[in-house]
Amino acid sequence: MTPIDATATAVARRRGPSGRRARAGRIFVAPNLTAVAVFMLFPLGFSLYMSFHDWDMFSPAKFVGLANYRSLFAEDPLFSIALRNTVVYTVGTVLAGVLNRKIKGIAIFRTIIFLPLAVSSVVMAVVWQFVFNTNNGLLNIILGWIGIDPIPWLVDPKYAMASLCIVSVWRSVPFATVILLAAMQGVPENLYEAARLDGAGELRQFVSITVPLIRSAVSFVVVISIIHAFQAFDLVYVLTGRNGGPETATYVLGIMLFQHAFAFLEFGYASALAWVMFAILLVLTVVQLRLGRRRAAQEERSWA
Amino acid sequence: MALLPTACSSDDDALTFFFAANPEEADARLRVVDAFQRRHPDIKVRTLLSGPDALQHVSIYCAGGKCPDVLMAWEFTYAGLAERGVLLDLNTMLAHDKTFAAELAADSVASMYETFTYNGGQYAFPEQWSGTFLYYNKKLFAEAGVRPPPGRWDQPWSFGEFLDAARVLTKRDRSGRVSQWGFVDTWVPYYSALMFGMNNGVPWSDPRMNPTHLNFDDAAFIQGIQFYADLNNKYRVAPTASESQSMSQTDLFTSGHAAMALGGHWRYQTLERAPDLDFDITVLPTGPKGHAAQSNIGTTGLAIASSSPRKKQAWEFVKFATGPVGQAVIAETGLFVPALRSAVGSPDFAKAHSRIGNMAVLTGGPAHAEGLPVTPAWPKIVALMDRNIGPVLRGSQPATSLTYGLTPKVDEVLRTP
Repeated sequence: MTPIDATATAVARRRGPSGRRARAGRIFVAPNLTAVAVFMLFPLGFSLYMSFHDWDMFSPAKFVGLANYRSLFAEDPLFSIALRNTVVYTVGTVLAGVLNRKIKGIAIFRTIIFLPLAVSSVVMAVVWQFVFNTNNGLLNIILGWIGIDPIPWLVDPKYAMASLCIVSVWRSVPFATVILLAAMQGVPENLYEAARLDGAGELRQFVSITVPLIRSAVSFVVVISIIHAFQAFDLVYVLTGRNGGPETATYVLGIMLFQHAFAFLEFGYASALAWVMFAILLVLTVVQLRLGRRRAAQEERSWA
Repeated sequence: MALLPTACSSDDDALTFFFAANPEEADARLRVVDAFQRRHPDIKVRTLLSGPDALQHVSIYCAGGKCPDVLMAWEFTYAGLAERGVLLDLNTMLAHDKTFAAELAADSVASMYETFTYNGGQYAFPEQWSGTFLYYNKKLFAEAGVRPPPGRWDQPWSFGEFLDAARVLTKRDRSGRVSQWGFVDTWVPYYSALMFGMNNGVPWSDPRMNPTHLNFDDAAFIQGIQFYADLNNKYRVAPTASESQSMSQTDLFTSGHAAMALGGHWRYQTLERAPDLDFDITVLPTGPKGHAAQSNIGTTGLAIASSSPRKKQAWEFVKFATGPVGQAVIAETGLFVPALRSAVGSPDFAKAHSRIGNMAVLTGGPAHAEGLPVTPAWPKIVALMDRNIGPVLRGSQPATSLTYGLTPKVDEVLRTP
């Protein structure tokens, strides 16, 4: 037996049954890990690499250092527009979505609320296109009953972003509802009973018991909604077109990224933009989690 | 043969042919492909129908290493692909095929052929003239007592005459809602607006190839654009974007709710199938500064991918479709206005367009057409135009705003694409 074989046998003996289990575990995990590496880690790394290059998919990539980032921040007037639109869209979606948390109740209503969750966003956008139709759309017909003139929802830059937010809120309600309802059901009933005995009203119970106890769920919903809204693309693409029109009214970062990558074939620039989006989201999420944690800690102290 | 939307399977050695067509055109296109296969039974052809954005579709195919062997090429967008080395310089093939070269030279229209001559290479051969003109509803003109518009490019009619006709032909019901429009646009509004600028005596760009400047700062060009925008905002003879949301402008025309429609031959197959639509075609109106009625050298051609492993078969296909034999078939099927003179003048072409009286508008089109800019930066220019011409067409800004708003941005992109 060679020295190497001897060591191997010794190691195997030392590992015993638990070592074998660990090895089996690793083998079972391997396909998933490979998928993660191939379909997530590699594209991530590749896009980071590409963000320092000038690449149109056909010619060899040319290293340009930080030029993509520089022109994104310093020279591209559309970046600030896209960023502003994205922020408006995100705030519009998240605020209104979370404010809906009090909605609960009967099964039929809940089914209606959950419906958007089951529909693909493209189908949703197409249907909403009919709703927003200026002359024959459902929304303007209803507004007409109360004497409001037809509003050019998707045609006028003034209204296009508002229309987009309406659809986006409508879509994000079910997600928030699922999470928040579950969290609310987890709040012990005896706390409410105790509060009622102490004479607290519905509102007081909600503010002092429900909200603090579902705070982590709320902050989860907010973080996820921000991430989703920040990456808005499909809804915008179908509803107001691939250029984020009319003019720049719905030109969000997702549309900007798509346009640079697939219309202008500037993959380096698009990669740089993707990483900037990632950085913004990362900062937002970290801040959000920190704030949430600090608030939770404060509350614990005040209860103690 | 089936229309395959994707190019997933590569198990056979069929020649792949990428093209765009609306559903009505697709039938005629397949008949042309069938005619090729009858003459070349040894070459199998697999068709790939483009999605809504042909350039994006084909770029992704080619970047992914699955470039179709033969590709439809458009005047506006082929330069980007040529610049990136996706398209084969057809002069390399032409050099070995003197007979075909001579045939092509004798029968081609120079302005169309040269549209695909870019930086010294020939990247496609034209297959059709796809310039724009006006369709008009004969019945609505007669009912309103309006004199039919001219039937030839050398008999121009003025912006004023056009506007008068459109005014008379716009009808409102008692509530003031428009029941019939004088004019609709079935093309892309910001392109059409530029056609009115061109018909006021100014080309989009000069020079045409690799321009460094578009004429958005020329007073006459801007005047033409303003006239187009005024058609819906000031004169109310054309629907606004809101008003054509529930029914497309093409449908407004086919259903008899519009008297005139700007478009190209690509709408013919659709209009021909419309029941109870009695239409003819006429030339675009000429502005006060214009010298003559003009269309545009819209053209599409066929190109071969430089990476194609089946160049010989691809060459046969391109030769067929853009040469005298295939062009005759195209004329007969009514698919396109053929690019070759022999085919346009053929009785078969006239027979395939029996619904049209003013055939001279089609046959004389290329000779009365101005070329459009050819630059690899076109996708960026389009995005800029879409963004900046939008407020002008909506009436929230005058066309003069383009001089300072759009010109510097366009010129910067053209200089550093």
